[in-house]
Amino acid sequence: MNNIEVKDLSKKYVGFSLDKISFNVPSGMVVGLIGENGAGKTTTIKAILNIINSEGTVKIFGKESKTYEKEIKKDLGVVLDDSFLSTYLTPKHINLVMKDFYQTWDEDKYNGLLKQFGLPADKLVKDFSSGMKMKLKIAVAISHNPKLLILDEPTSGLDPVVRSEILDIFRKYIEEDESRSILLSTHITTDLEHISDYIVFIDKGKMVLNVPTLELLEDYGVAKCTKEEFSKINEKDYVSYKKGKYQYEVLINDKNSFKKKYGITSIDKPSIDDIMLFYIKGER
Amino acid sequence: MIKGLLKKDLYNLASYKTSLIIVVLFCGIAIIGTDAIYWGSIIIGMIVGMISLSTFSYDDMAKSNRYILTLPVTRKEIVLEKYILAIGATILGSLLGFILTLLIGNIMNYVRPDNVIDINIDTLLATTVGGFFGVSFIQAIQIPSIFKWGAEKGRIQMFIVLLFLVLIGTGVGFLIRESGFTIDIAKLESVLKNFGLAFLIILSLIMYFISYKVSYKIYKNKEE
Repeated sequence: MNNIEVKDLSKKYVGFSLDKISFNVPSGMVVGLIGENGAGKTTTIKAILNIINSEGTVKIFGKESKTYEKEIKKDLGVVLDDSFLSTYLTPKHINLVMKDFYQTWDEDKYNGLLKQFGLPADKLVKDFSSGMKMKLKIAVAISHNPKLLILDEPTSGLDPVVRSEILDIFRKYIEEDESRSILLSTHITTDLEHISDYIVFIDKGKMVLNVPTLELLEDYGVAKCTKEEFSKINEKDYVSYKKGKYQYEVLINDKNSFKKKYGITSIDKPSIDDIMLFYIKGER
Repeated sequence: MIKGLLKKDLYNLASYKTSLIIVVLFCGIAIIGTDAIYWGSIIIGMIVGMISLSTFSYDDMAKSNRYILTLPVTRKEIVLEKYILAIGATILGSLLGFILTLLIGNIMNYVRPDNVIDINIDTLLATTVGGFFGVSFIQAIQIPSIFKWGAEKGRIQMFIVLLFLVLIGTGVGFLIRESGFTIDIAKLESVLKNFGLAFLIILSLIMYFISYKVSYKIYKNKEE
């Protein structure tokens, strides 16, 4: 079962358009939405949440998102990078406010998370550091035990220690109940190598990739070859290439068959960042 | 859900409760101790009533409208909550203005027995309701403006809309006079005396209702 089904999601702005994005977020899975700044990740998330008007269909928990919006949002936990309830409230106030929004609000869980994250209950949110603010947003998002988390850049601007703590929270959230899912947008792709099951890559408003993370990390490779070797490679067998001073770097999506076919053995394992760069900057 | 939104706004407003109390008391003592005593209820009603609109600025600061749209709350509820808050604050402000004027006026009379100000309850009630109507009129224009243009721009646009309305009103008045249409002043005065206050309150509620409909129409398709 899919917790989110996005089909042909489109949105037009002056100078930018999101073009027929389609992907699913299966239950029990973490899907990472990646792309450069301005690629369309936040627009996709806003369109899924009906914060902006869009074309195409979005189904959440199998229900049409526009028709069943309020019902769906009861089981949704959302973290937005640049937006929150208010900066002039304390975590204590937020608890009292959120109780009225969610029947399933778990006060003990929320207070426990505040303690776990070392967040003072009586301090105004505006006086929190970015890391503290993000931890608070996450605590708020998961304290009503939602079935689905939608997170827009939850790790941006945070130091590696806090980022690792936050990723642990997400891991634990999924482990607690396998019907849960996470859709997470980020431009820090190293975070996704450890946590995501699928990668959806958007570039300039278009979907470039939608593959299991394991496939991306295991099957993709960067072959290093000479000009002569490169000239023998069939265009269909590589994704893109970069021309260096002494050699060619070629991104391939099936390194085992590539090795067999061309006998090139110097193949590095690329990071998601490398793959993203090849798609954006590489030549074809 | 509306309760949650109201709580959020009230907690936001609570962050400047001290300044609000000082301003209200300062206005109270400064105005109510003079011959312009009836202005006290209007000014206090206006301060408390209009302060509710500053919640829009808090929302802008935290970009909270975007976040609120991710919660289980409809756009209709978001708009309705702002009107409940505005109307509630205007009623509270008017009541507070009425009570404080009466209270401080009498205290001043007691403190200054040589300069007693006569407080007429009917006149005080009429000015309070008049003030309530005035605040309702401004809010009924300002709230849709803020929903359309945001808290900062909305204020400027509100003044432009207000200017247009004054010009239209003046124009209509001019045309009525020019057309030779005569108004029976005595009859009008008697109607106003008997039904004026009820009429103003009903008119305020009608203005709020129309304003709510306009705001909802604006916010229904607004992108955050």
